[in-house]
Parts: sequence; C-alpha cells; structure tokens
Amino acid sequence: MIEVANITKTYGKKDSAFTALDDISLSIKDGATVAIIGKSGSGKSTLMHIMSGLDTPSDGHVTVDGTVLQQMKPKQIDAFRAEQMSFIFQAFFVEGNQTCYQNVMLPLEIAEVRGRDRKQRVMDALAAVDLSEKANSRARNLSGGQKQRLAIARAIVNRPKLIFADEPTGNLDSATGDKIIDLLFSINKTLGSTLVIVTHDDELAARCKIQVRLKDGKIDSLVTKPTRKTVARAKK
Amino acid sequence: MRIQDTIRRSGRSLRSAKLRTVLTSLAIAVGGFTLTITLAAGNGIREYTDRLVTSNFDSSELIVGRDKEVSNTGAPSTEPKEYDESVTSMAIGGDGSSLQIKQVTPEDITELKSLPYIEEVRENYQLAARYITREGQKRFTLSATAYNPAQKPELAAGTLPKTGDIADNQVMLPEGYVKALGFKSDKDALGKKISINIQKPFVDGGGEQVLAAIRNGVDPRTLQPESQMRTFTIAAITKKAATSINFGTLPVLVSTNDAKQMYDYTTEGTPSYDKYTYVYVRVKDGEKQASIDAAQADLKAKKYFTMSSKEIQQSITQIVNILQALVGVFGLITVIASVFGIVNTQYISVLERIREIGLMKALGMRKRDLRRLFMLEAGWIGFLGGAIGSAGALLVGIPLNPWITKKLDLGEGNSLLIFRPSQIAALIVGLMIVAILAGYLPARKAAKMDPIEALRTE
Repeated sequence: MIEVANITKTYGKKDSAFTALDDISLSIKDGATVAIIGKSGSGKSTLMHIMSGLDTPSDGHVTVDGTVLQQMKPKQIDAFRAEQMSFIFQAFFVEGNQTCYQNVMLPLEIAEVRGRDRKQRVMDALAAVDLSEKANSRARNLSGGQKQRLAIARAIVNRPKLIFADEPTGNLDSATGDKIIDLLFSINKTLGSTLVIVTHDDELAARCKIQVRLKDGKIDSLVTKPTRKTVARAKK
Repeated sequence: MRIQDTIRRSGRSLRSAKLRTVLTSLAIAVGGFTLTITLAAGNGIREYTDRLVTSNFDSSELIVGRDKEVSNTGAPSTEPKEYDESVTSMAIGGDGSSLQIKQVTPEDITELKSLPYIEEVRENYQLAARYITREGQKRFTLSATAYNPAQKPELAAGTLPKTGDIADNQVMLPEGYVKALGFKSDKDALGKKISINIQKPFVDGGGEQVLAAIRNGVDPRTLQPESQMRTFTIAAITKKAATSINFGTLPVLVSTNDAKQMYDYTTEGTPSYDKYTYVYVRVKDGEKQASIDAAQADLKAKKYFTMSSKEIQQSITQIVNILQALVGVFGLITVIASVFGIVNTQYISVLERIREIGLMKALGMRKRDLRRLFMLEAGWIGFLGGAIGSAGALLVGIPLNPWITKKLDLGEGNSLLIFRPSQIAALIVGLMIVAILAGYLPARKAAKMDPIEALRTE
C-alpha cells in the first residue's frame, strides 16, 4: 500500500519559485498497475522520484506499507530501495561492458544478498525475460528490445514490491514496445509487484488500473478502472 | 555492497578501460621500480657491511681506549682537546694530520683485567717493521700485526690454527709476497723461512748516539739505530678476502707473543713503550647484547672510551642509510607525481560513468559503498603499478646482479641487490594505500552525485 499525501515540490525561491507538483494525493494498493500520464514538464517524473525516495518533496509525505519515507535516514531509504523497489528507464542504463549476468547481479550485490542461490536468482530472472542464452554476452551486443528485457530482468531479480518504469517504451519501436509492455504486465501478475509506469502514451496508460493524469503539477484526472468483480456486480 | 563484490566490480570496470588503467599504473610503476631497487640495494649493502664487520670484529669484543677518538665514528670532531703533557703524540690518518692520542697504560690494562665482566684483554700492536726478506731476495716493506682469531683470514694455502693463536716464530704471509720473495707457488712457500727486520728507535731524538758518534769520529749521517732480524716459518698464505677491511697492503700476521716482543723492541724508550692506542677486551657472555651494553656503561663510568662491533657496523650503515634515503626520496617523488595521474584518471572515470553511478544510487547503493567502489578501483591501479614496477625491478636486477658483484669486486656470494619478498609485498601494499587515498576525492564526487541529475536522459 502506497499513500501519497499532499505532495508539493517547488524549485527556486520566492519570486522565481516554480511549483512542479502541487498538492498531489494518491493511494495505491499492493499489486496495482498505475500509469502517471502527462506531457513533458507536467511533473510526472518528479512524482515518481519522490515516490521512490530519490527526491524529497517540499511538503507532504509518502507512506509505503506504513513507513513514512520522509522520516527515514538516507541509509534506511537506500536499503529500502535496494530491497523493495526497482527501476526501468527509457534509456535502459544497462552496462554495455558487462555481461547480462553481471548486469542482473548488480541489485543483489547492492542489497547484500548472500548465499548460493544468488546465481540461481539471476538465471531465473534472465529466463523470465527469455535471455537465458545471452547470460554471458556483453550487454552492448544486445538489440534495443533485448536491452530493455535485460533491464526488466535486473528490475525483478530482487523480487521487489514496487517497480517504477520511466517511459519504458520510449526508445523502442511500437512492435518491440508492445512486447515489453506485455512482459511488464505479466510480471505484475506473476510476482504481484506494484507497477508504476510514467508515460505519455495513452494506449499504454489505458491498460493500467489507475491512471493519474498530471497537468502543470496538479492532478488533472484520476481514473480507477473498475475490477472485473465490480464490473460484474454493476452488470447485475 | 559486500567487500568481495566491490573488489570484483571495481576490478571489472578497470578491465573495461584497459589502456587508461595500464598507462596510469605505469606512472606508479616507475616509483615502484625505483623503490624496489633502492630497498634491494639497501639490503645488499647492509648485508655486505654486516659480513664485513662480523668477519673483522668479534662481536663479543670491545675496542677500549682512553681517548675519545677511539669511539669516534663518522664525522671528525671539531672540538679541540686541551693539551696534556702526559699524552704522546702520534700521526694518524692518510691526510698526514697528526693527533694527540691518550693511550692505554699498563695500569689501565691491569685494571681492565681485574674487572669481573672482562674475560681477556688483548693489546693492539701496531708494528713498525722495516722490511721483510729471504736469503738471496730483495727487501720489501710490510705492515705486520698480531693474528686475531676472530678475524679468520682467508687462506690461499696452509691451515688456520683450530683454536687460539698461531705458534710463536710462525707467520701468515699475504700471497702478494710469495712470488716477490722467490717462491714457486703458495704451497711451495709453506714451511719455508723468511726474515723481518725491526729497528730500535732513537731515544730522545737520538741526540746521545749522535754525540757518541762524533766523539768516536764516526759521521753521524751514517748512523743507524740498532736493528734486529727475526726469522719466521711460513704457516699459511693469506689472500685478500672480499670482506676484509684493509687499507693498503695485507698485513703479515704473527703470534701475539712475537708481536709483543717486536712492539716492545721498536718502542723501547719512546713514550709509546708498553702503551696502546686501544686494546681489545673480550666481555664475558659477550654474545648477549645486554652484557656488552653493561660493560660499555661501566667502562664509560671509569672514563674509558669504547666501541662495539655493533657501533662500528652502525657507523657504516649510517652512510648506507643516508644514501638509501636520498634515492628513496626520488622514488617517493615519482609516486607523488603519479598520485595526480590517479586523481585525474579517476575523475574522468567518474564523469564517464555518471549514468552508471546514478543507476547504482537509484538501486539503493549507499554513499559509503559507492565511495569504496571508486577508491578500490584506484587501489587496483596502485596494485597494478606496484606489481609492474617491482616485477620490472626483479627482471632487471636479478640478471644484472652477478655483473655488478664482479664490477664492484664484492667477492663471491655477495650481491648488491637483495630482493626480499616481504619488502616487495609491503611496497605493493603501500602503493595500493597511496592509490586508494588518491582515489578519495574522485570517489567522494561519485558518492555525492545526485541520482536524478545523473539519470536525466537528455
């Protein structure tokens, strides 16, 4: 359960102050899929950064499973991110010089996961994105779609509760992008991770349960798709 | 991040920039090379002087004198001594300088012998013999002294006495005299006889003898003091050892008894008669440094000046240490210069990997771990530099060693460059630490980086 309460983010001082986010409040249940939609400059990336604890709000707070991020020490937030969150970026950010295996191992190393099953977890994650046979290839030799699949493997290896995806299809052609989106949603189902996608793609947003549309730092619209149960109930 | 993961990851990122890594580490390698060679040369010289001292001085013996010059090591003293009528004057030093030396008297020797911690007192006979010769051969100058069992001269022929002194009326002859005195070979000379001529001094400047000669109608210019021929049997032939301290010619060695007789004969009537610049004193339990120290302290209280073999060694090694420090400073300067190379390389590395750093921070990597990652990278550069440098030093030094030994005439079994694995390991560790410290600033920059800035895609 993630609760975003009255988040405000302002840059600059007094006269030249710029409000990137203005009194945003949200509530996201575990395992939900959330789309944060908006044009560039609407504040959607800033909201994602604040929700993940990378950035601090000027006002308000974010509560994840009862823990207030803004009350944690930097060390605790780091540990929290290492164990419970992960990221997928538009530009992939995979290390070209390292092998796929080494790329996926990174979160486990950061989270100080010990033991023999480390290797198995990496291989499982690679298998989940269908990159098993590329384990020992260097990431720079992968295609764009493969790179993003590798990034997804890296995002799920730690079995996080929360996956943030920042324009995950922005650098991909539509066919490859669709496959990536399918993959993300299937992972959401199988792992039960909450998926927060930042996008300006309405089609992609439409597949998410919660759609938050931002405009000039404010919530323009907040749509929660009815679940099948509620749809069924409504039909009756 | 656990340390082993950090080490592996830092090594891996260096491998992905091989050329830059190697070039940066080469700068440290130069320092590592210089320092390895310096350390090895220091070891070699120190070991050589150790051998020099132990083969020339008995470590359980002390040199004891009445004059502070006896215990003067290193630089000559600049403070003048007050004139003392009872002190005899004698010239020392190759520069012709003359110095008053307060000598050790028979009373001093009696006192020394009575001390409970002294086992034996050996007088130091500086013999002034005129010449050495053999029937039908030319006459040659020589230096002669008493055989010192502790010195164990190296022999070309014959044998050393198993214990104690050589027999009276026997000599150990330096090999240079063998051919000069007409022997066919070293072996041929053994058991043959030679003669040494010694001369009585003119007492009181010889004034009385001159007057007596004039009275007897003899030209005083032809006057010769009384002299004596002593005949010795050759017991052994000595050769120059690589570790012998001898200025000029090797001395002819005689027994202590013979040396005493000859010394008395040549000094009779002079102020030096029965007096010695210094004597050798054997300390009871002298193998233990504590007994030597105690003896030296007590002798000092009794206004004697002493010098132990350890002090002689120190006076030599002091010079070595100074030289080594000088060369070492150059090595250190190189290392300092290479530090800037590391700082520069690591800054570039941090700037090149802004994205990677941002990602790691986003994934929850702690500042401390990130700092450690980059400092360890610098540490790897230091390790590589140290390893390349000392490997280079070994590659150059080991094959060159025999040649240097030959050129410097160090003698068989002595090497100028002695490489100690422990020292090389310590040096590499030291260079790693220097490199890690050099990596601190770039690492801090990486740790402080704002992940949001770093991950901005445009």
